[in-house]
Amino acid sequence: MKKFILHRLFAVMLTLVLPLSLLSQTTKKDASSLQLGYHKKYDNTQLIRAVISVQKDRRYSPLANVVLKFYSLSDTSITLLDKIKTNDEGVAILIIQDHHDITPDSLGMMNFEVEFEGNKTAEKATETLQVKPASLVLSFLQKDTTKYIETFVTTPGMGNIPVPVESAYIMYYIQGTFELYNFGEGETDENGKSIFEFPIDMPGDTAGVLTVVAKVEEHDDHGTLEANGVINWGKPVPLVVEKKRGLGDTDAPLWMVYTLIILLSVVWFHYLYVIYLIFKIKTD
Amino acid sequence: MAKKSKRRSFIKYGLAAGAVALTSGPGCVEKKDEEEEGEKVRMLTTDGKLVEIDRHKVREVAHKHVPPEEAREGIPGKKWVMVIDLSRCRNARKCVTRCQEMHYLAPEDEWIKVFLMQDSADTAPYWFPKPCFHCNQPPCVKVCPVGATYKRTDGIVLVDNERCIGCKFCMTACPYSSRVFHWKEPEGKEEAAHNDYSPETSVPALVGTVGKCDFCPDMARMGKLPVCVTGCPNGAILFGDKNEDIVSNGSETFRFSELIYERAGYHFMAELGTEPNVYYLPPVDRMFDYELGFKTLSEEQQKFYRNSIVKKH
Amino acid sequence: MMELDQKSTRALKFFAPQMVTISKSGIFRLILLLIFIVGGIYALLVQIIEGHVVTGMRDNVVWGIYIVNFIFFIGISYAGALISGILHLLRVKWRTPIIRIAEIITVISTFIGPIYILLCMGRLDRLHHLAVFGRIQSPIIWDVLAISTYLIGSIIFLYLASIRDMAALRDYPFESKWRNGVYKFFAVNYRGTSRQNRYLDRALDTMSAIIIPLAVLVHSVLAWIFGMTLRPGWHSTIFAPYFVVAAVFSGTGVLIIALWIFRRFYNLKSYITKIHFNYLGIILMILGALYGYFTFSEYLTSWYGSETWDMEVLYKLFDTSEYWWWFFFAAFIGVLLPIIVILIPKFRNINSITAVSVIAVAALWVKRYLIIIPTLETPLLPLQDMRSEYIRYSPTLVEWLLTFSGVATFFLFFFLFSKLVPIVPVVKADDSVNYSQLRKTVMKRIIKRKIKEEKLKEAKKIEHL
Repeated sequence: MKKFILHRLFAVMLTLVLPLSLLSQTTKKDASSLQLGYHKKYDNTQLIRAVISVQKDRRYSPLANVVLKFYSLSDTSITLLDKIKTNDEGVAILIIQDHHDITPDSLGMMNFEVEFEGNKTAEKATETLQVKPASLVLSFLQKDTTKYIETFVTTPGMGNIPVPVESAYIMYYIQGTFELYNFGEGETDENGKSIFEFPIDMPGDTAGVLTVVAKVEEHDDHGTLEANGVINWGKPVPLVVEKKRGLGDTDAPLWMVYTLIILLSVVWFHYLYVIYLIFKIKTD
Repeated sequence: MAKKSKRRSFIKYGLAAGAVALTSGPGCVEKKDEEEEGEKVRMLTTDGKLVEIDRHKVREVAHKHVPPEEAREGIPGKKWVMVIDLSRCRNARKCVTRCQEMHYLAPEDEWIKVFLMQDSADTAPYWFPKPCFHCNQPPCVKVCPVGATYKRTDGIVLVDNERCIGCKFCMTACPYSSRVFHWKEPEGKEEAAHNDYSPETSVPALVGTVGKCDFCPDMARMGKLPVCVTGCPNGAILFGDKNEDIVSNGSETFRFSELIYERAGYHFMAELGTEPNVYYLPPVDRMFDYELGFKTLSEEQQKFYRNSIVKKH
Repeated sequence: MMELDQKSTRALKFFAPQMVTISKSGIFRLILLLIFIVGGIYALLVQIIEGHVVTGMRDNVVWGIYIVNFIFFIGISYAGALISGILHLLRVKWRTPIIRIAEIITVISTFIGPIYILLCMGRLDRLHHLAVFGRIQSPIIWDVLAISTYLIGSIIFLYLASIRDMAALRDYPFESKWRNGVYKFFAVNYRGTSRQNRYLDRALDTMSAIIIPLAVLVHSVLAWIFGMTLRPGWHSTIFAPYFVVAAVFSGTGVLIIALWIFRRFYNLKSYITKIHFNYLGIILMILGALYGYFTFSEYLTSWYGSETWDMEVLYKLFDTSEYWWWFFFAAFIGVLLPIIVILIPKFRNINSITAVSVIAVAALWVKRYLIIIPTLETPLLPLQDMRSEYIRYSPTLVEWLLTFSGVATFFLFFFLFSKLVPIVPVVKADDSVNYSQLRKTVMKRIIKRKIKEEKLKEAKKIEHL
């Protein structure tokens, strides 16, 4: 018991002292941290996305306009891929292109490192990312009247023979004007496949066409994978011919036009008649 | 309703931990990723097609001037709706300020206003963000003598300040006090001057004419949500296409019909027969106590707001 | 040359010299008016240069005393349209000395009223948009069409009723010959022949018959500008007739005041007599009662139903810290006092009738203010604005200057008119003939038809046989 109390006391002292020492540090430089992500888009574009933020007064804030160095690591060498400046949100994105020499290591993994060299206010930071290339394929199936979306996740194995990826979470989306709408999720089986029944009441365009997006999001080994497909499985939404908006329309209701014309012409007819009479007086 | 994504649980957690973290933490960055990622950007063309184009071309397309005559037609096939979740509003007033930046408005000109509402003495007060309702039966459009304010096929009610004669009849006709008049030369005049005027951007403003919330159709053409929607730190405002049945606040996306059904969405003062395109979700199971909303206000303002909800009679 | 009877010759000799001279006090009054008008022009320039921010109007109260003045002036234009129109059609004998004044009031106020609408417009430079882009669903377009038609109609009416005098003046030996030239042009060769008289009387009857429904329509349309909105205190079905009655009430009041002024300053005691004041007073009393009835009905229904927003406006009107005293003046004093004073014969005299007319007219101006402002100060959403000027409207100096300048312009135009045409018709049209003639022609026709029928019957009988 006594020992426990002593431990507690020690712990309390430590918590009191530690922040003090941290404080003295932070007055010089803020601790910065990097977060990396790999994203393979449906058009097979590969991206490395790095976010850098600094911790200041227990709050994270993005570090804008700093240069991040993107490296590719292999068993034997380190290659500088690119230097990219972060945007206002502290994000720098590397698009992996053909001229980037990325050789997977002996285990078939791609290894990346992103480095921030530090500046006057923020400390140096490095972070590595290991990705095993994979592919996501989306296909549409129809059994009787039921419609299914099937996804198939594979990774290149020995001699580039695809090996199914098991237990990958798949998110299913409909592409909206602004954002993706998530309508379901699934997990791949031992064959690397996942099947999800397509909802029957999703609206599409006038022909019922919509875009379905499947995603493996932030997979530990494979990063984010994406696939999409266009299909006419949606409920067709007819282009509504604008119903007349009554008084809000550009044209007035006919009765109003007629009433106005009749009223005005009755009055003006009398005016003209009077003017005619004046003319008669003049010529008399 | 849609299964909550990881992102959503993150946001909930973040809110529980303290709303401040959200505005500056990595969560905020996370929220933006869709629009920042990659070389390509989704855009809505003038004929209503969604296309992906290179990022560096966005500028040209984004600044494609939609002249007043063209702006009278809506974006084809679209029916914009807004859903405002009153249970999430804590009067952060970011929608107000973002809108003002976007439209070069003076600090006192608010196209989206946040009211403190109390329906009767015994009912609970709540914060009530109110943009223009873009009614399907707009009283303002009815009364305009020159057709300077009009209803488009995509549901948006716009003002053409090159045609407006400044009679202010629309302002008396609007039962929701959505319109503001430019009583003097607009303050941001010089900064806004480089913009070619379009009713879709409402910029630059013109003295002696009426202005109001325009649902940011210029943003929609770029496949981007209105600035009040993305500006809200709590995701209280959702926007989308009713034909698509999808509304989003930038980080969460819902089926519009399900959201309205499950959360008992309603129209504000539906009895006026104006058929608004803005829906409200009642302030139940609130994320914040309404008292929190006073934090953004000065002492003087707080007093004023508190007095204003207590009925004199 | 036109033959004039003795009475008309005497009247001509009385008025014609007045038209070419101006008294010293007249010059003084003229300068006073011009000062006010210059003040108004200055205020207008300030408003054009600085924008509408110089007025007390803001986003909630978007219409201020400009609109109040607009309704007020269109209201008093009823003096000529309805009063002289109806009196003419009814062939009321005592109308002759007062109809010219009434018609001039109509023309001037119908001209000045819409100017206030222009002052209220944010972009005066786009006035032509009304013609280019006009939407006839908008009550403003109805208003533009109705008022312009009404203005033209009342000018024609005034002109028709002045042709006989123009002819008389054409033949009057003025010192400056241009006057005779002008009168010759406007007299359209009128010599008083029986055919010319017939044409002229027909024209006058036509105009007075058409100007009455037109006037009713003009003020109804004006009321609908407010009635068509979803605003408490405005969205009322009785607004159109209410406005019409209020307008005739104020028109009659202004007519009485004008008669009093001319009687005093133009020595018209022998023309405008107590009879005119008495009759007009009784009309004023009846209209006052009618107007009071409408007012009572309007507020009783909205109080009894007590909808939230209606009550908000009512509370403001009955709140002593807000509009109660103004409301008391406009809805109680301004209605009851004229009725009581005119109803009791002991109180009824030229000065008292004029005094209560002044009160009634002032009360009606205030009433229009109370219709416009408290409603606009009561939007459906709470007024959460830190800027006090956005919550409570108070007219600025610019608005007052333009208001007074409008009143001054009204008097200036009146003065100018009185120098162009006699303020009281010189040549009197003989109505009595019309009635007997009418009876005679009708009788003749009936007899003719009877004879025809008899003849036909007889012819049939013969055929039958």
